[in-house]
Parts: sequence; structure tokens; C-alpha cells
Amino acid sequence: MKKIALFLMAVTFIACNKNDDGQTPLNTLVDIRFQHSFDEQLVDNTTFNAIQYNNAFGSELSLTKLRYLITNVTFTNQDGIATKVRDYQLVDVTQNTGMFISGTSLPPGTYTLKMRFGFAEPENNSGIYPDLNAASWSVPDMLGGGYHYMQLEGRFIDAGNETSIYAYHTISAVQNPGPDNIREDTSIEIDLGTINIENTTTTIKVNMNISEWFKNPNVWNLNTLNGMLMGNYAAQILMQENGQNVFSLESVRSVQ
Amino acid sequence: MQKFTFLVCLLFLTLCCTNDDSSEGYAPTPASISIPGVFLQLLPAPEIPANNPLTEEGIALGRQLFFEKKLSANNTLACAGCHKPNEGFSDQRRYSIGIDGIAGFRNSMPIVNFAWNTKNKFNWDGSANSLEQQALEPVINEIEMHNTWPNVVETLQTDANYPIAFGEAFGTTTISKERVAKALAQFIRTLVSGDSKFDKYVLGEATLTPLEAEGLAVFLDEDRGDCFHCHGSPTNPLWTDNDFHNNGLDEDFLDLGLGDITGDPAQFGLFKSPSLRNLAFTAPYMHDGRFATLDEVINHYSEGLVFSQTIDPLMKTVAQGGVQLTVEEKAALKAFMLSLSDPTLATNPAYQNPN
Ligand code: HEC
Ligand code: HEC
Ligand SMILES: [Cu+2]
Repeated sequence: MKKIALFLMAVTFIACNKNDDGQTPLNTLVDIRFQHSFDEQLVDNTTFNAIQYNNAFGSELSLTKLRYLITNVTFTNQDGIATKVRDYQLVDVTQNTGMFISGTSLPPGTYTLKMRFGFAEPENNSGIYPDLNAASWSVPDMLGGGYHYMQLEGRFIDAGNETSIYAYHTISAVQNPGPDNIREDTSIEIDLGTINIENTTTTIKVNMNISEWFKNPNVWNLNTLNGMLMGNYAAQILMQENGQNVFSLESVRSVQ
Repeated sequence: MQKFTFLVCLLFLTLCCTNDDSSEGYAPTPASISIPGVFLQLLPAPEIPANNPLTEEGIALGRQLFFEKKLSANNTLACAGCHKPNEGFSDQRRYSIGIDGIAGFRNSMPIVNFAWNTKNKFNWDGSANSLEQQALEPVINEIEMHNTWPNVVETLQTDANYPIAFGEAFGTTTISKERVAKALAQFIRTLVSGDSKFDKYVLGEATLTPLEAEGLAVFLDEDRGDCFHCHGSPTNPLWTDNDFHNNGLDEDFLDLGLGDITGDPAQFGLFKSPSLRNLAFTAPYMHDGRFATLDEVINHYSEGLVFSQTIDPLMKTVAQGGVQLTVEEKAALKAFMLSLSDPTLATNPAYQNPN
């Protein structure tokens, strides 16, 4: 008993010492928020379901589901020291979950902020992330295995003026679907540039412009490319090209 | 500072000692769910609400209540009357019959593996937000057990054994509807199904027949069944996404499903994706039990899909009426789906009537 008491005393003492010395610089709390837009229009799950957006091809469309995977969220300071704040996070706009990365604490300073859309090849192995398995985020092995990058779904007015459906799913592009498929890493690096973190709580907003998926450089024709895109290698490459400018730094705000 | 530390330590020690010596503050025995190998390998740990932890006594009480006909107004119907262990904890009648001989309008649902249902939406229409909340409803439902909670509480309170059992489970012999629901929820969380032939295959303890293997390929293949987005895959052994969809059954809805609860027209005709586990025991199928056999279900997806405004965007072949499977593909798909059935559910001694 005495020993335990001594041990507790020691622990408390050490803890107090650290608090008192005041040498380590105070860290700043940093939040990353994911926000979504269709060009200028802000998108969230309350704006889902209504056919109200126009893509570059000229199709009117709605969103019924949007979720995607962000990985390797990393701040790098000017000495090149990297702090990875998330290995991966499923941003689920439909359920309004995973929309923040909070709880990061960093010394004030200048950083570059990078993340990745989807798992890069070495991390994209089937079945290894229990939460993503339970979220039905997996890609069947015959389609290359691993995990989805994005599920974007909705309705559009087709060439015959009828309401039609689309499911724009991005994955690691795969050739020769089946037991002998060949997979190609089509995840996308997101470089959000340089960010100054001052000594007050900072919120970084990252925007996904959904319109970009249908626009740049490949104008997307939903009449021909609306489903069965996972096993469509050429479509996955077009999607990866269009994904290059989907994400941008919206704002960095310090709360006084 | 040192003085303070010393005081904290003293306080801590005092607390420890007091705890050791005292006999008051009864606590039931903590219990846990036995987790199947496939779940251990692939799924997160089960989620148990902090305000209703699993205990041996709570589970035992919940089991008693689950099989207790006194929960119904005329002592004839227990939960188990419509959720039968040997029918995948579901009911093979298209519509279960309540105590007044009146049939409901939806097919009963299998109630297994809910400790992994982190979406916490229950019933075909998502009307309940927790198992604790769900358990309150059938007792007073007019076409189910048609009782009142004051009446149930009084019946149980005047019973010779229940007050003791509640005392053991919750530290108080005072019975309330909330405690009844908590005990039922605890028992239901222990209902786990993870020992099908396919589970053994995933663990490397069984091999699929060529037909079953081909059926799995049809199930996963985007160009053929494409079932996995909503119904799980070898890496999601729940075999459901626990989400709500319109899978193309009707052009006009008699039953609005999720939309009836939310009032949102975009959700009219959406129903919860059922787990494909234990289909061998849970016929008939769909929210209204309209399909008596799996062949009918497969035909629906193959050539029976109909369009409506809320059709799920994943039902991509709706314009062609379905995924157009060959006779061989249909047989394979059926064989595969049946390999997800777990015969141990019906025989697990922990799940049988204790009364
Ligand atoms: C008369 C038959 C009947 C009785 C008795 C009955 N149920 Fe049910 N149960 C059903 C039906 C039918 C549904 C689907 C209801 C719906 O969606 O409207 C259901 C749904 C459920 C669900 C939701 C399952 C899911 O996948 O979301 C749970 C949990 C459940 N019942 C538990 C119970 C409990 C606990 C009792 C006893 C207190 C009970 N039931 C008594 C017929 C019954
Ligand atoms: C868009 C999501 C979705 C897809 C894709 C899908 N299903 Fe379903 N499935 C559902 C929903 C939702 C229900 C319940 C519908 C209802 O009762 O109204 C269901 C019901 C079923 C049932 C009945 C289960 C029961 O216990 O009543 C079976 C079997 C089934 N689906 C098999 C399949 C097969 C095989 C495929 C592929 C050919 C498939 N599903 C594709 C969503 C889907
Ligand atoms: Cu997909």
C-alpha cells in the first residue's frame, strides 16, 4: 500500500512539474472541416434529392448519396517535420458524419497541408480496416479489392427527358476484372498549400467542388457513363483526371 | 503541491479501503458477447450503450422476458412467438398474427447481430432509434401484444419470481417498462449469428462448392448481380448495410416505409436492407413477405424491377427490368445465398426458452 501511495505521489509530482515549467510552446487547436459545393452552391444533406444542379455537359442532376475517403492528413512544418493527424477518415455527407478532423494540436507556425483522396496502393488492402468493412466500403477482390475512394450517386434528366439514375463510384482502376485483375493506383494527392497557424484556435475549411467531377478536363456525359463504372478502367482514369482540382482550401480562420 | 498530492493519495486509499469493506452498492456480473471468429477478424468491437451494459443477470432476465407470454394482454403471445429461434428469429408466416387474431401488414424481421448495427435504426421503416426504444413498442401495439405498460408492470411486479430477477439485474426490485426494455435489449444483443458455411470458408475451414463460388461471383460482379453495395460482401459479414433503399418492388407504394416516418417524399418506399444471413429459415421475403421463395426474389432482381421516383441509384438496370441473369447464374446465386445460413442459431442453448 505504501508503495502505491509513493508511486502515486511520484506520478502526480512529475505531472505537476511539467505543467509548471512553462518552457514548451503552447500548442494551438486546429480543426479541419470538409465542406461541399456544386460550383457556387453549398451542398449538404439537406440539399440532397432535388434535381437542381447543372453539370458541364448540361445535364440537370441531383445528389442522393456522397461519401468519400480522405487519407494521410499531414501537416509539415518548415523544418520538414511531418505530423500525420489522420491515417484515414470516411467523410459521409449523406449521414453528416466524419465532416471534421478535430483534436489536432500543433505549435503555431507555417505548415504545408496535404492529404490524399482514397488509399494509396500500399494501404489499400482488402478487409484490414474493421470500421470501413462494417460501413460496406469494400471493393470486391474481383474488382481489384481494397476500398472505395468515393460513392457519388443521384438522379439526372437523361437525353430522352426522363429521370434516370447514376452511381459515380471511384476506386483503384482495374484492368481485366476477375480473378486475374490488374490494379492501378488512382488515388489523388490533395495539396492544400501553405497554412499559417497562429496562437488561437484555427479552423481550416476544405471544399470539394462536386461539379469538377463532371467537368475538367473531361466533360462527363451521364447518358453514357452512369453506372457499372467500377469495372470500367477507362472511366476510372477519366475520373482520376477530373478529380485533380476537386479539392481546394476554402479558408483558414483563427478564433480570437 | 506535495501536500496536495499526499492528500489525493490519502483520499484515493481511503476510497479503495471503503470500497473493500462495504457490502452495499450491489453490482450485477458484467457479461460480454461471444464474438464469432469472422467478426473478430473483420468487424469493430460490438457497441453496447453505456447506460445499459451487459450483465449475466440482465441477459438472463431479458431471455425470460423474451419468451414470456404474460407480456401480452391475454397471456398467449411472447416476443418469441414472432421471432422464433428456429426461424432465424423471424416468422415464416407472411404476416405475424397478434393476440386478437389480427394480422399485421409487415413480415417479421430476424433480430440477430444487432450489437454491430451502429446505425441504430430499427424496423423496416427505421421508426425505432435504439433496441431499448424498439422493445417498448410490440407490447402495446394493438395488432401485436395489445397490452398496456402499467398492466405489464403490475403483472410482473406481482409475480413470485420477476421482482427478484429484476433485483439481481438492476439492483432494485421495482419493475418499470424501461427496465423491461433494457433487459430485452441486453438479451437481443447476445443473439449472434456467425457460424454459417460461408463464415467457415472465410476462416479457411470449409470450401465452397463450384456452384456456391460462382454464386458469390454473380453476387459481387458489377455486370451481373451487383448485390454487394447494399447487402455486404466477404469483408462485411453482417451481410447488410443496415441502410434504407427502394429496391424496385413497386411503382406506387401502399406502404411508404421510411418516408412514412420522416415525411420526406424522397424517402417514400425505402425499407431497411435485411441481412442475407439465415435466408434458409426466414422466408417469406421483403417487408411485406410478398416472395415465398428465394427464386422469386432472384427473379425480381433479374427481370422484375420497376421504376419509381425514389428508386435507388444502385438499381442501375431498372430500365431493362433487372440484371438479366441466366438460369445457371440464378441457381448459383441461390446456392451462394443459402451458404450464409447458420444452423447453430436454432440450436444454441443460450437462445432457447428458459421458462
Ligand atoms: C405479432 C408479432 C410480433 C411480436 C409479438 C413481436 N414482434 Fe418484433 N417485429 C415484428 C414485426 C412484424 C416487425 C417489423 C415491424 C415493422 O417494420 O413495422 C418486428 C420488428 C422487430 C425488431 C426490429 C428488427 C430490425 O431489424 O430492425 C425488433 C428488435 C423486435 N421486433 C423485437 C421484438 C421484441 C423485443 C418483442 C417482444 C417485446 C417483439 N419484437 C414482439 C413482429 C413481432
Ligand atoms: C440498392 C440496394 C440493394 C441492392 C443493390 C440489392 N438489394 Fe436486396 N434488398 C434491398 C432492400 C432495401 C430490401 C428490402 C426491401 C423491402 O422489403 O421493401 C432487400 C431485400 C432482399 C432480400 C429479402 C431478404 C428478406 O429477409 O426479406 C433478398 C434475398 C435480397 N434482397 C437479395 C438481393 C440480391 C440477390 C441482390 C443482387 C441481385 C440484391 N438483393 C440487391 C436492397 C438492395
Ligand atoms: Cu461501388
